[in-house]
Amino acid sequence: MNIKTVCKKVKRKYGAEVFASEDERSVFVRGRAANWQQAVEIGKMFVKKGKHVVNDVLPQGFVPPKPMLPKVADDKLQGTHWDVAIVGGGISGCAVARELSRYDLKILLCEKHGDVAHGASGANDGMVHAGIDLAHQCLKLKYVVKGNAMYGEICDELGVDFVREGQYVVFTSRLIKLLAKSYLVRAKKHGIPGVSIIGKREISNVEPSVADFAVGALKIPSTGAVSPYKLTIAYAENAVQNGVTVSLDTAVLSMRREGDKICSVTTNRGTFTADCVINCAGVFADVVAEMAGDRYFSIHPRKGTDLLLDANAPNAPTHSVSLAPTLKTLGQNKNTKGGGIVKTVDGNLLLGPDAVETPLREDTSTTAQSVNGVFEKQRKASPKLSRSSVIAYFSGVRAPTYEEDFILERSEKVKNLIHVAGIQSPGLTAAPAFAPDVAALAVNYLRSCGKTVDANAGFCGKRQKPVCTKGMEEDSLQQLIERDADFGRVVCRCEQVTLGEIKQAINNPLGVATVDGVKRRVRAGMGRCQGGFCLPTVLKTIAEQKGVRLSQVCKGDEGSYVAAGEIKSGE
Amino acid sequence: MYFDIVVIGAGPAGLAAAIKASQRASVLLIEREAKPGGILKQCIHDGFGVVRFGEKLSGPEYAQRFINQLKDTDVKTAFFSFVTQIKRLEQGFSLHYVCKEGVKHVNCGKIILATGCRERTANAISVFGDRCSGVFTAGAAQNLVNVLGVLPGRRVVILGSGDIGLIMARRLTLEGAKVLGVYEAKPVPSGLSRNIHQCLHDFDIPLYLSRTVTRVFGRDRLSEVEISEVDENMRPIAGTQQRVQCDTLVLAVGLIPENEVAASLSLPMDGRTKGAIVDQTCQTMADGVYACGNALHVNDLVDYVSESGETAGFFASQERKPRKLVPINVVGGFGYAVPQMLDLNCDAKNVIIYFRTAQPEENKRVTLTVGDKTVFSKKYARLLPPEMERIAADLSDAQGEITLKMED
Repeated sequence: MNIKTVCKKVKRKYGAEVFASEDERSVFVRGRAANWQQAVEIGKMFVKKGKHVVNDVLPQGFVPPKPMLPKVADDKLQGTHWDVAIVGGGISGCAVARELSRYDLKILLCEKHGDVAHGASGANDGMVHAGIDLAHQCLKLKYVVKGNAMYGEICDELGVDFVREGQYVVFTSRLIKLLAKSYLVRAKKHGIPGVSIIGKREISNVEPSVADFAVGALKIPSTGAVSPYKLTIAYAENAVQNGVTVSLDTAVLSMRREGDKICSVTTNRGTFTADCVINCAGVFADVVAEMAGDRYFSIHPRKGTDLLLDANAPNAPTHSVSLAPTLKTLGQNKNTKGGGIVKTVDGNLLLGPDAVETPLREDTSTTAQSVNGVFEKQRKASPKLSRSSVIAYFSGVRAPTYEEDFILERSEKVKNLIHVAGIQSPGLTAAPAFAPDVAALAVNYLRSCGKTVDANAGFCGKRQKPVCTKGMEEDSLQQLIERDADFGRVVCRCEQVTLGEIKQAINNPLGVATVDGVKRRVRAGMGRCQGGFCLPTVLKTIAEQKGVRLSQVCKGDEGSYVAAGEIKSGE
Repeated sequence: MYFDIVVIGAGPAGLAAAIKASQRASVLLIEREAKPGGILKQCIHDGFGVVRFGEKLSGPEYAQRFINQLKDTDVKTAFFSFVTQIKRLEQGFSLHYVCKEGVKHVNCGKIILATGCRERTANAISVFGDRCSGVFTAGAAQNLVNVLGVLPGRRVVILGSGDIGLIMARRLTLEGAKVLGVYEAKPVPSGLSRNIHQCLHDFDIPLYLSRTVTRVFGRDRLSEVEISEVDENMRPIAGTQQRVQCDTLVLAVGLIPENEVAASLSLPMDGRTKGAIVDQTCQTMADGVYACGNALHVNDLVDYVSESGETAGFFASQERKPRKLVPINVVGGFGYAVPQMLDLNCDAKNVIIYFRTAQPEENKRVTLTVGDKTVFSKKYARLLPPEMERIAADLSDAQGEITLKMED
């Protein structure tokens, strides 16, 4: 459709005056909308094959919030030079960093928060998708199928737990079951292994919690589960072991271009130069592209909320299950798989996520509406679940483009810039597959500039798995405790985490020494008491290990202090 | 290694149970922390032991009385020890625990669960909003102040007028923090009346009833909370939101018995107490497994915690005949009553029943009947949910239905 026609359509539908132009790569839209939801819907109307959408339609009077920036300002990176600089420490940036560390290159990864996986990579359900929901060929489909197949090996290499226990999409009507045959055709066409339709009896046996209403199910055996932040951390740590510099609390503020290349990058920790820049900035990918004068896509942030259930939740399903869309719901909300009940790698269940368009890229707050909505919706697949089994909930913000596909390419306009953008679900699944390809783009570019890029002779892709005493064989645990008695001292009683594991987590290769850092690495505080019991010990251990005062220890980023000061300090 | 009895948890319930049981049995007392005393270690305020000792002790002092007694017994103790597995054997149980020396295995005849309780969290009571620091459960805040010697924050909102919330309001005030108010979702305060006076009134700390915290705001550290009025079902009323600037939110919103071990033994539980179902001897529905203290139901006074520990310890150390269990029926406005069962084949001369009302009540008569015989009857001018009541009755040779009734 001609963009002028779309403008008229927008006017008819919303009464909004918008203007559009286009070049070879993108459609550019600007104008005013009544509200954010409408602005996003208008943006979507301009999507057409082979083009991106840059949507500057904004609600009247909308002022975008200022991005969160690190408090620190120093010259740590001032005047440094890097072969490759990666912007963003989510799953994409960390996986790309690790894949690039196979080469003898000077690599910098900048992450503006105090730990990696701070954004969507740290706040999703950890499902390793099979890709069954994707109907058409696209980058997402290519890499989700490839990535899924790589998971066992990559998690083994990086010392991260991974389980492949499959997933059941439950049919509640015979008609849907009949229609679901098309999934078998799709699975075969796309190379998704083992997909089958099972009958009422079989699904009732595997998952008695759905027996009352299931008429059958789509069984997808290749679906798996991983801890998304543990995998991101593992990628980052392995990258560091292979020579990558990970600079935390480092926000990219601007870039300077000379001709068709970025010549310098300014951060809160100084200005550096880099031969190649890789944009892995998640919800800020379009902002970073703009810094390089190369904004040819828009990210429209989409918030999702997940609810975590107690590991001992009564009447809970024992597998990842979701309800197949009914004819009624089929047409709605095309941009999410509709969520489901996901069995995490740790054995807890997660309910969710939902999908809420938001102009706030960094708004990870939870709302009553989302939490209650997700619970009510997902409970349909498991009606006996009790609200009191919910021990935590969290939100993450996805980073989709209007085209709803990944962007993995060298910029046409800026020769030394590579975009890894629009990485939303199933980005976690896809990352192990696209990261080597992105690394190759960078290496090929550097070589094309005449640089010799050798293999990193010292590269070791194997990351030692951190000690986890829970579930360990008693003989091994006995030996471990004999070597270090701290592994015999359980601190977090809900998740059974020992002092030894907490110390190990505090002394991680990235140098993250925060309460949340410990929680994400070894699960202390992740259980049903949510840290009520172990917080004081974790706090004290961080202070002791790092030689700082208790009041200097933070929950997460700088400023998130836990204790305000000593008692009766008179301050 | 074999013990007649293993007691899990060396808080007030476990200490009392171990001491009592050791008079007739070999006992191992297992504790997760470095020292015995449980949560009493951090309760440096007074008021403990009024019923038992007739004096107001601090938590550590109260615990110390039992620790001193423990020293005169043959109880073996294992501190810094965490139970990882309990298995039922043909006779008794096998138990694995982790400690600084490694993984230990012990067998025992009986187990007493004295694992205490945990606090409800912000998520459990539907507080929404940002993921900032500055939100603490009252127990964690108390540990920070009293054990670690740090002040959680300087401008504090407390949600929940239970005893811990009230005590923390005073404690934080004494340490120089400004407590802006204690908010309570119920229309009546949850804590003991004496604490309302001593902790709030004496320090001019306002108490706001029928209000709750519905949202927290803060980028890194908490900066504001949203308070909403609630309806009679304790649901927030839209449009009543008010923001209060503060850097700390302390949640004293209830305690839940810790029963992971009970869960691993698949003990039948009472949905109201959130603890195991027991008979008058604190024996659960599984032979050989006893439960006492706050693991059984959340008590208001530590004196009763110790009492139930002693009951469990005493009966666990006795030879027991096969049980003949009958229910103690509960009729009327009770929140709960413990024990839920009576073993007719065991001593029932002095059966202690603890109960709470579901709602505040006035001028109610509580009777305990066996068949058509009344064995206990008392008129209560006032009954409040936060204040646990204790009655003792002779239920020996009980013939017929046992009923605890509350009526006008």
